Amino acid sequence: MTGAARIGAVARKELRDASRDRRTGLVTLISAIAGGPIFLVLIFNLIAGQAERARDLKLPVIGQANAPALVEFLQRQQVTLSTAPADYEAQIRRGDLNVVLIVDDSFAADVEAGRAGTVRLVYDRSRDRARSSIEQAEELLSAYNRLWGAQRMILRGVHGVVGNPLNVEARNLATPQQSGAFVLFLVGYYALFAALMGGMAFALDTTAGERERQSLEPLLMTPARPHEIAIGKWLAVVAFNALVVLTTLAGFYLTLAFAPLPPVGVPFLFGPRELTRFLLVLVPITMLMPAVLLYVGSRARTFKEAQANVSLILFVVSIIPAAQLFLQRREPDWIALVPISGQYSLLNLALRGEALPALQVVLSYAAPLALVLLALAGVTRLLSRESVLSGK
Amino acid sequence: MIEVDGLVKSFGRKRDVRAVDGVSFTAPDGEITGLLGPNGAGKTTVLRMLATLVVPDTGAARVDGLDVVADRYGVRARIGVLSDARGLYQRLTARENIRYYGELHGLSGRALDERVDALLDTLGLATLADRRTQGFSQGERMKVAIARALVHDPATILLDEPTNGLDIMSVRALREQLKALRAAGKCLLFSSHVMQEVAALCDRIVILAHGRVVAQGTADQLLAEARTTSLEDAFVSLLGSGEGLAA
Repeated sequence: MTGAARIGAVARKELRDASRDRRTGLVTLISAIAGGPIFLVLIFNLIAGQAERARDLKLPVIGQANAPALVEFLQRQQVTLSTAPADYEAQIRRGDLNVVLIVDDSFAADVEAGRAGTVRLVYDRSRDRARSSIEQAEELLSAYNRLWGAQRMILRGVHGVVGNPLNVEARNLATPQQSGAFVLFLVGYYALFAALMGGMAFALDTTAGERERQSLEPLLMTPARPHEIAIGKWLAVVAFNALVVLTTLAGFYLTLAFAPLPPVGVPFLFGPRELTRFLLVLVPITMLMPAVLLYVGSRARTFKEAQANVSLILFVVSIIPAAQLFLQRREPDWIALVPISGQYSLLNLALRGEALPALQVVLSYAAPLALVLLALAGVTRLLSRESVLSGK
Repeated sequence: MIEVDGLVKSFGRKRDVRAVDGVSFTAPDGEITGLLGPNGAGKTTVLRMLATLVVPDTGAARVDGLDVVADRYGVRARIGVLSDARGLYQRLTARENIRYYGELHGLSGRALDERVDALLDTLGLATLADRRTQGFSQGERMKVAIARALVHDPATILLDEPTNGLDIMSVRALREQLKALRAAGKCLLFSSHVMQEVAALCDRIVILAHGRVVAQGTADQLLAEARTTSLEDAFVSLLGSGEGLAA
């Protein structure tokens, strides 16, 4: 009897055992397959809604009569003007209104006297939904300002350029795929999350659960060496985790390919090429997390204790990509080496439709694989300790 | 054949709790040897050292001449253990539970199938074989645990408090199983804190208290040593108190 045969026996038994746990398995797989599509539909509707809001700005105004020329300008720009309600401040705070324009009562008099006329924009910039309306309103007002200034100069025989010496030309390098950075973040994050969470229940059940159910001691009295037990269990959890990741990505792919999503000028592509790249990037995490979870599970006396420890790890691990998103500087090169971070960067590249740099991919495998060995050595050591028997 | 020679084992952070303190005895083949003692006497620790799960501080133990420390995997292939912890895999059937251990012991194919079928038959588990062990009674679980421990046909069998939690019918069935194994020439070592159990079954008795052997021999030898006519009185006299002996 070779070690490999015993490892195989352990892995087969664990997979069979897990496959019998219908409820846990089904919940995991259903959330994996349904999660992607639901998530995408929500995001797409969000984007579509935003785009719609941006297209036709609705602008409640107070004091329209004070600046008829401005009103006319705005109407020409397809802005829907209305009279603002009296409690507009409360409505803005509640989020019912995005932005309100107030034309000062003394606007006409000021302009006549050669002073600058005052208009006020009232908004709550902390509201994401309002942001595009606010920016649009600001842009329209400054455009009106430039236009008006230029017209005055022309009347005085001065070329408009005199007042506007700077000509700003914007060239946006984002391809259609690159816009919507937040959407990219969410999709990459979701895929990564599947690889983090997929094997959790299984890994804890096969370690802390085995100990709690008193089946560990008899197992340790068989000829199976502790490292064989550790590797066998790891292989089983990796296989299950891979299934969850595959299911999740397949859900993404099928939804984007076939579901009737609102046409929003898709901010990213997710075709067979992206699917393959995602799998390539997620392999090390799919192998790493089961090893880490087995180690945590082996340390715990009970399933409950293991769950508490795991939730701490998952919190840390899942906050890394979020921290990366808010990092303002360009990512340093060594980030490719950091597990989770490295994968997250690569997933973003894949979503942006860029080729994955081979070196970065190789580097992203190094640390996770080393950690797998370390974690499995840890599990082996724990299984070899006498205290594993007594629950002490 | 089990030979135990001066085993010592301490636990605790400072190694200040002597669970086993110089235990020596021999358990020959073809006999049932009882390890009797109150709770906390060190029975489970002795069995765990024999099962190679716990390494003795000093002293040695051999199973069929193989040292339990130097040749732990050789020993494991020769022993079958029904330990204190006897959890089954509840989502697996009785047959799958037993097969798993068979595979880990290197059995496969037809040899494994035949061995598992034979065990299921002998233990009266044939009708339950393909049901998940989830709903099994204590007695049924015990039978599966015994079958699992015997799947590789070991020459030496260690049983830690096997009658715990069993009803009277299951205890009787277990006794018959153990007698059949003795008849087959196996070496059986059986621990219990219940005097009647040991008296009913064992050829030789080793009495443990506070990690030490206080007396050993056949029932008759123990009666003579304690100068009493009933085994119960003998145990009380040999232990110095009746503490923990009641069922």
